[in-house]
Amino acid sequence: MNEFTAADRVAAYVGGGLVLLGVFGIGLLEIIAGSPHPVTGEGQIVHEALIPLDIRSYIIILGLLVWTGYAVYKVVATTPATERAGRV
Amino acid sequence: MVTNVETRLLGRNVSFSVSEPWLAYWLVIMRFAVGWWMLHAGLDKFLAWPFDAGWFVGGAAAGTSLAPLVTLFSEGAGLAFVNVMVPLGQTLIGLGLVLGALTRLAAFFGAMLMAFFYFINGETGGWAHGVVTGELLGLLIFAMIATLGAGRVLGIDAVLARMDLFDEHPKLRWLIG
Repeated sequence: MNEFTAADRVAAYVGGGLVLLGVFGIGLLEIIAGSPHPVTGEGQIVHEALIPLDIRSYIIILGLLVWTGYAVYKVVATTPATERAGRV
Repeated sequence: MVTNVETRLLGRNVSFSVSEPWLAYWLVIMRFAVGWWMLHAGLDKFLAWPFDAGWFVGGAAAGTSLAPLVTLFSEGAGLAFVNVMVPLGQTLIGLGLVLGALTRLAAFFGAMLMAFFYFINGETGGWAHGVVTGELLGLLIFAMIATLGAGRVLGIDAVLARMDLFDEHPKLRWLIG
């Protein structure tokens, strides 16, 4: 069975968790507890955000930075020895 | 031809079957779709040269979450660099994905470019159509391609992978699909 390494887990759960929190989790919270979301004739959603939109952006950015750090780590940490051992 | 995937996710055993030909098929469809998206965007800018990104990096980006980084490139040499690198980057990312050449490297930079477009376009538009936009979906497809590597499916990376260079330097293998 092929499983995540420790670095994989950080990228998958912390990075993906932050992206999903910003996109999905806060979105769900806005629907449940936020103000009404009237949609204009042009399809635009006009409402007061419960969680400030810039905070939401920073949460997603942080998740993307974790993914980026993981991608760079995978390249940097790969050596002939780690590759033979399948450790990266 | 079906492969049985058995692994662990979130502490639970996960087991499912994947059709190998359909997996290869969807990887290459995604690669062509986002590849042409970027290649078209890059070539369009070259065909309508000169390209000026000043309105984006200097105007639209101001006041967004990425402003501290992006507005550094809003004038002088920084802007000149962006004016060349956006169309050149889009063209190379597109070529890399369409041809399946240095696929992971191309997808990584595609995701990076999408992150800039996603936050700056989204924030300046007040996320009026929600936070899941075409740019976020593009970013996630690039990330998926970079993770899975799809260049060896009808791509040049299948040839590159057999070169001694990539055997001798395992780090470089992360750049191809």
